[in-house]
Amino acid sequence: MRRWCEDRSTRPGATVALEPLWALARSWYDDRLELGWRRRTPPERQALLDAVGLTGPFWSLTP
Amino acid sequence: MGDRGDPPVAGERAELAGRVRQHVYRWFADTGRAPSPVELARAFELTPSQVEHVLEELATGADALVLLPGSSYIWMAEPFSAVPTSFLVGSGERRWWGNCIWDALAILALLDVDGWVATACPDCGDELRVEVAAGRVAGEGVAHFAVPARDWWRSIGFT
Repeated sequence: MRRWCEDRSTRPGATVALEPLWALARSWYDDRLELGWRRRTPPERQALLDAVGLTGPFWSLTP
Repeated sequence: MGDRGDPPVAGERAELAGRVRQHVYRWFADTGRAPSPVELARAFELTPSQVEHVLEELATGADALVLLPGSSYIWMAEPFSAVPTSFLVGSGERRWWGNCIWDALAILALLDVDGWVATACPDCGDELRVEVAAGRVAGEGVAHFAVPARDWWRSIGFT
């Protein structure tokens, strides 16, 4: 991963294991097929990240 | 040229945009690709030009779709991608493209189906496969998020 980042002049970000990623995939998009969908507010999105353990500065949605 | 009526007014426009958005998602789910403006126009008895306005509104106003730059063609209806990506999703005979591994898994979650995601290690090219069955995920590897969460929508194509 370090080599991949270096090749692209990109700083390493954060890694996530499959289990929490799957949990996030299930919660983040669960309303997309609904007619009344609206984009979740930043606090709502932050709560979804928190719920799967993605916390800390990298996962913060506010500057 | 057929007359498809006056352009909808504001309230109707929002209601129409909601129905178009849902139709786009169902289209992706059913076919694995995005509908074109002409196909949407036919489905909603609008002119392609009226559809283009709706798509523009969905992309910029509601942040519900991503259009290919400089066009009215749908690029993403997250988690679906209209263009081939490195994340092929399969369930039975059905296939979709995810924008990233997160989105690829989300397609299976959204449709509530068992399936798989086929991708490759970005560094060595070895095939990576993730399986989803009975609500559980199995596979090797980790996902790398290069962009901090606060910047995900600054350039969604890069993210």
